[in-house]
Amino acid sequence: MKEYTLDCLGEACPVPLMKTEKKINSMEVGDVLVVQIDHSCAMKNVPEWARTQGYNVEIEEVEDGEWEVVIEKTK
Amino acid sequence: MSENGKSIQRSGARAPRKPKKSQIPYGMAVLIVMIIIGIALSSRSATLAMYWIFGSCFGFVLQKSRFCFTASMRDPWITGSTSVTKAVMVALAITTVGFTAIKYGAFLNGLPIPGMSYVVPISFATAVGGILFGTGMVIAGGCASGTLMRVGEGFGMQMLSLFFFLVGSLLGAYHFGFWKINFISNGPKIFLPDYFGWFGAVVIQLLIIACIYIAADLWQKKKMGA
Repeated sequence: MKEYTLDCLGEACPVPLMKTEKKINSMEVGDVLVVQIDHSCAMKNVPEWARTQGYNVEIEEVEDGEWEVVIEKTK
Repeated sequence: MSENGKSIQRSGARAPRKPKKSQIPYGMAVLIVMIIIGIALSSRSATLAMYWIFGSCFGFVLQKSRFCFTASMRDPWITGSTSVTKAVMVALAITTVGFTAIKYGAFLNGLPIPGMSYVVPISFATAVGGILFGTGMVIAGGCASGTLMRVGEGFGMQMLSLFFFLVGSLLGAYHFGFWKINFISNGPKIFLPDYFGWFGAVVIQLLIIACIYIAADLWQKKKMGA
């Protein structure tokens, strides 16, 4: 199980989502991806996309207005 | 806060989070400043104060709901998600009823119908403008309301968007006369109640919105399977 970090700080929607999609597709099942974002719109569509794919998702607010979306590729 | 109760295992030691500073004092300060500005505006004109209150409330709702017109038109193509699209359709349906009530009320009382200056000619220019605006809002990461809201959140890149949004609006307003005479005013002005009657106009508009809603729902099921 590997953990990857994707730095999307300062990137506006939809860039974080598209980067996440690409990165997840290159990962093995069981790997974890941490997406760092600070765009409030990405806070909505990245977790929503990951959940509809059936992955486990957690959101953590690390700073005011800065989040880490933790996605586990479960399948 | 995991989907299935247990949290995701993360490798490596993470730096302990430093406690976040409470933002409540700042919020209180902003609220007091807003009230002072509101009082100052109301001493000049009651309408200005109303604009101030409605504007502030609208911004608050936009931010808290993460409502984004850009996402409503963009996400269906990128991920197939249409949850925001459907939200926009619901909002349009509600405003359709509300605006019809206001306009029909004025019409019944023999008053001039408010907002008729927004019934503008439609033509090829409408489609060209839509494509230009759509391209721009996806690149800029937000339409007008979204950009303003995220500038308020302190997102640096969109301060740049806002600056060029202002530049573009000023340039557009400056040259608008030329476009209006040569391209825009050639098209027909269509106000649905003139063609279908008041009741018919509402029904037709709501039917179109319902069709788009259903199509959006089917689109998401097809693209995302959920």
